[in-house]
Amino acid sequence: MWCSYACGSSEHNISRRGFFATALGGTLGALALDPLTRPAFTHELNKQQKRVLMIWLHGGVSQLETWDPKPGTKTGGPFQAIPTSVPGIHVCELLPYTAQRMHHLALVRGLNTAEDDHGKGYYLMHTGRRQEPAMKWPHLGSVCAKLLGSSDNPLPGYILITPRGNGGVNSEDAAFLGPRYASVALSDGHAPANLDRPAALTEAADQQRHEFRIHANQRFLRSRRTAQTEAYTHSYDQAAQLMRKRDLFDISKEPPTVIDRYGRHDFGRHCLMARRLLEGGATFVKVMHTNYDTHHENFDFHIEQLGEFDRPFATLLDDLHDRGLLASTLVLVLSEFGRTPNINRNYGRDHWSRAWSIALAGCGIRGGSVSGKTNADGTAVTEGQVNGGHLFHTYLSALGFNSKKNFYIEQRPIPIADPKAAPIKEVLA
Amino acid sequence: MTPAPTPHIDPAKTHLLKEYKHDSPLLGCRFDPSGQFVFAGAQDNNVIRWHLDSGKKTLLTGHKSWVRALAFAQRRGEEKKGKEGEKRTSQSSSPCLLFSADYAGRILAWPSSAEGPKPAHTLEAHHGWVRALAVSPNGSRLASCGNDHLVKLWSVPDGGLIHELAGHACHVYNVVFHPDGKHLISADLQGIVKVWDLAKGAIERELDAKILYKYDPSFRADIGGVRSMALSADGTLLACAGITNVSNAFAGVGNPLIVLFDYQSGKQKQLLRPKTPFQGTAWGVVLHPTGFIAGVGGGNGGMLWFWKADNAQDFFSLKLPTNARDLDLHPNGRHLAIAFFDGAVRIYSLEK
Amino acid sequence: MLPSRAFLSLRFAVTLLAVSPAVVLADAPLHQRIDQAIAAARPDFAHQAAAPASDAEFLRRIYLDLTGTIPTAAETRAFLKDPSPGKRQALLDRLLTSPEHARYFAMVLDVLLMERRRDKYVPHEQWLEYLRSSVAANKPWDQLVREILSSDGADPKTRVAAKFYLERQAEPHLLTRDISRLFLGTNLQCCQCHDHPRIDDYKQAHYYGLFAFLNRSSLVIDKKLNLAVLSEKADGEVTFQSVFDPAKKTQSTGPRLPEGPPLKEPVIEKGKEYIVASTAGGRAVPRFSRHALLGPTLARADNESFKRNIANRLWALMMGRGLVHPLDLDHSANPPSHPELLKLLADDIAARKFDMRGFLRELALSQTYQRSSELPPQFRGDKEGMEPEPTSYTVALLKPLTPEQLAWGLMQATGLTDAERQALGPNASEAALYSRLAPNVAPFVKTFGSPPGQAPEFDARLDQALFLANGPVVRGWLTPRPGNLIDRLGKLTNTDALVEELYLSVLTRWPSAEERKEAADFLAARPKDRPTALQDMAWALLASAEFRFNH
Repeated sequence: MWCSYACGSSEHNISRRGFFATALGGTLGALALDPLTRPAFTHELNKQQKRVLMIWLHGGVSQLETWDPKPGTKTGGPFQAIPTSVPGIHVCELLPYTAQRMHHLALVRGLNTAEDDHGKGYYLMHTGRRQEPAMKWPHLGSVCAKLLGSSDNPLPGYILITPRGNGGVNSEDAAFLGPRYASVALSDGHAPANLDRPAALTEAADQQRHEFRIHANQRFLRSRRTAQTEAYTHSYDQAAQLMRKRDLFDISKEPPTVIDRYGRHDFGRHCLMARRLLEGGATFVKVMHTNYDTHHENFDFHIEQLGEFDRPFATLLDDLHDRGLLASTLVLVLSEFGRTPNINRNYGRDHWSRAWSIALAGCGIRGGSVSGKTNADGTAVTEGQVNGGHLFHTYLSALGFNSKKNFYIEQRPIPIADPKAAPIKEVLA
Repeated sequence: MTPAPTPHIDPAKTHLLKEYKHDSPLLGCRFDPSGQFVFAGAQDNNVIRWHLDSGKKTLLTGHKSWVRALAFAQRRGEEKKGKEGEKRTSQSSSPCLLFSADYAGRILAWPSSAEGPKPAHTLEAHHGWVRALAVSPNGSRLASCGNDHLVKLWSVPDGGLIHELAGHACHVYNVVFHPDGKHLISADLQGIVKVWDLAKGAIERELDAKILYKYDPSFRADIGGVRSMALSADGTLLACAGITNVSNAFAGVGNPLIVLFDYQSGKQKQLLRPKTPFQGTAWGVVLHPTGFIAGVGGGNGGMLWFWKADNAQDFFSLKLPTNARDLDLHPNGRHLAIAFFDGAVRIYSLEK
Repeated sequence: MLPSRAFLSLRFAVTLLAVSPAVVLADAPLHQRIDQAIAAARPDFAHQAAAPASDAEFLRRIYLDLTGTIPTAAETRAFLKDPSPGKRQALLDRLLTSPEHARYFAMVLDVLLMERRRDKYVPHEQWLEYLRSSVAANKPWDQLVREILSSDGADPKTRVAAKFYLERQAEPHLLTRDISRLFLGTNLQCCQCHDHPRIDDYKQAHYYGLFAFLNRSSLVIDKKLNLAVLSEKADGEVTFQSVFDPAKKTQSTGPRLPEGPPLKEPVIEKGKEYIVASTAGGRAVPRFSRHALLGPTLARADNESFKRNIANRLWALMMGRGLVHPLDLDHSANPPSHPELLKLLADDIAARKFDMRGFLRELALSQTYQRSSELPPQFRGDKEGMEPEPTSYTVALLKPLTPEQLAWGLMQATGLTDAERQALGPNASEAALYSRLAPNVAPFVKTFGSPPGQAPEFDARLDQALFLANGPVVRGWLTPRPGNLIDRLGKLTNTDALVEELYLSVLTRWPSAEERKEAADFLAARPKDRPTALQDMAWALLASAEFRFNH
């Protein structure tokens, strides 16, 4: 029988205490404040300005061609394992640049998420939960936008840089947290929609029409003021602030040498944009790299895709580190699932979630650590088996939260992370 | 010299003769010039030698990655065999060297018929995969190609690097010597075929096999490449094999295709396709001295096809037990060797 | 002119106030009993209550609430100038029977029932037409619900009603949750695993009683019909355990409503359980269907939760907040703000056989509905926090426009509607105009709508502000075109007349003296680019809080 344990009763060992305040009380609708909320705590976090970078390797990257190589075995494939900057830890030869940053990275090699479907794996790795018919869980990005974001920040709390597709708000991502915390997709790294003032409208005219609007509001609100009207008028101020930050979305502002370091391809440009956004105050940036769904020619495709991934990723780690941001930026390298140890007749690897790996770095992460272990041919986890719930606890813990806390939605306490799981201590600083 | 075409050859009567089994999927296969052995490269990093008559199996262990490229050089032989189906033409009893190359960029040279073969020498040849090797008609030079976009020429006797031919802009998938001994032909992932003037070490001209390549925009990856390449014995026809019509790179949805060039003009002479639709890649091609072309495919199962140069559709095909991954023609012109995903090399007879 | 209009409004207000709460009789019309209940709930009611809404406030409000858009400038002029005392009632009676109301209320019901789920199995247009024709015929709510809960999608005549099940993939847990929320006002989701830990009234047995109507049904693609339909098994008993129960005792239940009696189920002879047995390519039809009983069992006048739910939801629609709030948490620990009023409303709507139109009419006739949204002067200015709480209904609540209201309101305000009507000429029927303009709504739903499967929730975000401020949609509507607002304004040479036209068109009221002057100054400052200055000024009013809310 399914149970979300979304009830906060003591029988589930769930604390009833919430741990964050809503930033814009009146606009949050369903998000009621828990009586025991500690606003000061949230304020403290804002001061520390923690942020998250998620690299999403779309389609399911092979753990054997990345973080958990098994060279010389039946399942290992043709690639070699190479030493890294951390003695004793080896990764696949396709990651030579990343290997030299292993002292920043932690590997989780004992992942068993038991979910081999793209959509369900995507959901699981973004929410830390399995799909349930009558309950939608928010993405990590939405949770972080909620917990780490500040109402003063005009940047969307959860930014998704995709190689293509539609830009705009993906309101479902935030589930019960509300569309304010949903992801805003920047398709092919383009700035959010409607950020530019219409060409025919001069700056002076824009100013004048806003002044007229503000005067009209003042008259109307003299006798009618609610949290909702405040939120509405404030949304224009935020829009104006974001318009002033327009350049953050424009990597051509970077020197050509920097663009070269990241690589003149989509993923390189998108990593560079992620750095600009994180530096510019973004809370959660997800960069999507596609595609890894290599049922056919797994090895050729991993050479190509990881060849594109490795250097920009390493460069991004370096830049964050050099700017002193890495310690306050949680970095995640995730996928829907891994790929089968078995190599199929078309040199492909298929969907596989029973024993795979992810990488973490930065804020709250113990660099150079490894948790979990798989057997010699990578077909099973032998030590430190964890699932998506553990990962969610680990991310929240790394960001300094008590991951056992609840959200409160219309009187209902809802555990932020799956109460049946716990943080992975080995990879936490 | 090429044996006279035997009147007994009839591809339509092709049948399985023998089967040699290994316990790891195979990538490539070659008969040695003496015709006594068949060699195969495997996913367990071994090269396997089978004695055709006795079936005796010998492992050549030394590679650290998968082996697909195999080629032979005879120290005093005149005309030797390149990788992808190039016709070998001499029967010689002189000592023969096997070159095998792996996906770690390494080439090993082995005494091909020795009892317990040990690598005679090792070439750290390329950065990344080496997918094909070829030996010059006079046996003096070895050509290799790699994922480092390079083609390299090596001295057979001492393993020294003679030339580094740069010009490809992507992974180089195949290489063969022209029988004139003056030209080398290389082909890459994007279906660009380059003819090199060996005297000048420069590109002489390019042939277009781009039909064997596609950038799949939904998966954002390159798919295709010249997976097998062969010349006719007289050097007038060049065949490039691979996949075309790719609609889904990551599921391998596409059709096998062999592009047949008129070597002199560089023009496409024929696009050889299966008569019955097949999903997969053409992994091997050979040009038989009697004029027909044989190809094998793997994808949704395995197939063997026979074409005539003047007809786009095969005149005969044979369903294979599983995915075929490489093809070679015996020096006697009467047998084919096919390397399979299931670890077997199977020998097929072309005789009635 | 102005003083006399104000005077008229005031006189009208006095007439309304003359109905004192004390004299309302038990058989008085519902709207009077509503006002009595609201007034009686507060001893200081007279001090707290806002003045009656002005004609302009009422006009905009009733148009938005009943037709989903604002009136034309001409309609506004006519209404504001009309001296007849019965004009409000006449207007609302006209609107309630208008094709615009049927169209709009179908959208309201669609959002309520489908919560913007994507259309996979039943085309949206068919579903909207089903709802529209139901509203136009004033189909009673209980009948509509029975139709929706009874259709299995196989009969072409009733298939469209199965959308509620089909778009939810017939998933029994999802349906149990949504049926309890949307038709009974009780969110039983927490009871899937155990009795609700915080709400004593919500029991796990309630959840599974409802679930038992649904768990035998599933969605199948019927090969013969080539359609997704419901298939129902003849067996499948519901058992459950509480995750809190250390003994893990297994309980079972047949189909029954929360607090309702167990359903009597016929005994079917073995081997004769099916009318149509399940096959690989088709649906199964049992001789005894639990699914078929859900509608008739649930949608009944003697089902207390059913009638409370619809009364509360319609109240919330008109008044801006449910007496029970949130709308789906009706239980004893979350009592209604006015318990007796909710009971009165629930009994009334059941007694009028779930006539929604008649019920809405009574709500709209009430003084409670027709109160101003302006705080009484004593609560304004720096006295924030002193104002009456929203649950008192002493001041009309501001209601953010729904995405549909915003889209249709903007189309009317910018005169796109007028221009299209003009272009259609004699063929400008409601249906023709609707089909021309309806495609414009999608970007508003995308930008302002709640995510699929979630109840509507107001949120003001900067992407919405950017959409309105810089986006091409509204900007396009502000480009001059024969008959539209900017076109009309451009032809007016008298500035005061121009400002009047602007305010009547966008804000459904006359401009104040201050506003007349401000607008005139705005235009005077930009003599060289008057056409764009007009657009900018119109935009500023469209983007104002006054436009964004139904006040």
